[in-house]
Amino acid sequence: MGSERPPPLPKWASKPCIMGIDEAGRGPVLGPMVYGCLYCARSYQKTLSTLNFADSKTLKEEKREELFESLKADESIGWAVDVIDPRELSDKMLKKNKINLNEISHESAIGLIKKVLNLGVLLTEVYLDTVGDTEKYRVKLSERFSNIKFVVAKKADSLYPVVSGASIAAKVTRDRALRDWILDETAEDLHRNFGSGYPGDPQTKAWLEDHKHSIFGFPSLVRFSWGTCTSYSKDFVDVLWESDAAEEDDNGKTSKRQKKLTSVGFTTAKKKSEDIESSGKGRCKFFQARKLELLSQF
Amino acid sequence: MDGKDEGSSQPAAAHVTVDLSIASAAEEDLTGKVHQLPCCIKHDGPTPVSHYFKPKPTEMEVDGLKVEEAYFRGRKLQGTTVSLPHGYSGFILGKKGRDQGTNDPNSHCWETTATFQDITVWNHDAIPSKDDALLRAFHWFTAANALHQTVTAEDLESACID
Repeated sequence: MGSERPPPLPKWASKPCIMGIDEAGRGPVLGPMVYGCLYCARSYQKTLSTLNFADSKTLKEEKREELFESLKADESIGWAVDVIDPRELSDKMLKKNKINLNEISHESAIGLIKKVLNLGVLLTEVYLDTVGDTEKYRVKLSERFSNIKFVVAKKADSLYPVVSGASIAAKVTRDRALRDWILDETAEDLHRNFGSGYPGDPQTKAWLEDHKHSIFGFPSLVRFSWGTCTSYSKDFVDVLWESDAAEEDDNGKTSKRQKKLTSVGFTTAKKKSEDIESSGKGRCKFFQARKLELLSQF
Repeated sequence: MDGKDEGSSQPAAAHVTVDLSIASAAEEDLTGKVHQLPCCIKHDGPTPVSHYFKPKPTEMEVDGLKVEEAYFRGRKLQGTTVSLPHGYSGFILGKKGRDQGTNDPNSHCWETTATFQDITVWNHDAIPSKDDALLRAFHWFTAANALHQTVTAEDLESACID
């Protein structure tokens, strides 16, 4: 996955270049989130605005595919995508030290900028849609890349053609990735009618309903960290994590998100950690350090 | 587990027996299929593990341990498969008589339903290392051997400090 093999650096890339960055698949409860970027020489900007790129969401799928093919064929344009696996999204958001979606998004955008700079492209201006606080985001980017002027704006994808182009690359890549997704799970009754992946999509809802599993939750295509999954927790058996227990010890109470996710039915932190593992409590240090408990009844 | 009744505080506790004989026809070899997860799953019973839990090898190696990865409930787990030392086996126990439907809930008689020769130990948010509690628990094997070795007169003599 990812962008195709990079062609040799075109001549225009050593002149001042602009780049747009946009995302697709931030909201969906399943499938990857894709960050895309599109860049060209500043002098090409005028031509770019005649190419009828518009915010990818306002275009029909066929039109988007067509525009993506034409921008790929355009030798005055460069592009790249970063496909963030749903497993990575779930994991980062459910770690002991949780990374929220805004941070993941920022890191992806930063990764794309680095990648394009490493190709040798002379980036001077980068346009992005806002993620989180506009000004904080701009400062964060400017601190990392002091030679680049950053424009962070709401609805950048409809304001700047270079961002519209990036949104097309991202959206088409996201749609294809979901369409071609190979499920890791091998249970027999799995199907691929994912729908759009948006929590409100009836087809997506039906897919989630068909694929919930009391022990495993969902196939790993699903973003477990999404609020949508919470409504299914009543159908799942409780799973208690050491990291949740530790968190409870730290804060005296479980954070709201974790509570919602596991719908923990146990009240005290002590009970929780003892449920998870043996302790070797009360024995000599050798056993304690190895969590070797003496079982006298079972 | 030595299966002895440790004279527990519960007066009702009946005599506990653990039958580790592996002659039983029902006994199954679960080597390669025993996982220790860093969480407690509030369920006891069969579930299609191999269809949903898909460990994959990685390039990583720590302390000579080959790191594997898998996902469970949205968490990325990193684990390693360790063999039980020579001369040791893992046992899965079940209450005696459960097949015949004569399952007495008060019975404390256990028998072997399966054995295993390795175990995959999984961590959440930490790569496996030889300092993990379960791997360190293996130290007990060496310690137990030493503790139970017959002490000869020569041993005593050489340990004596005059």
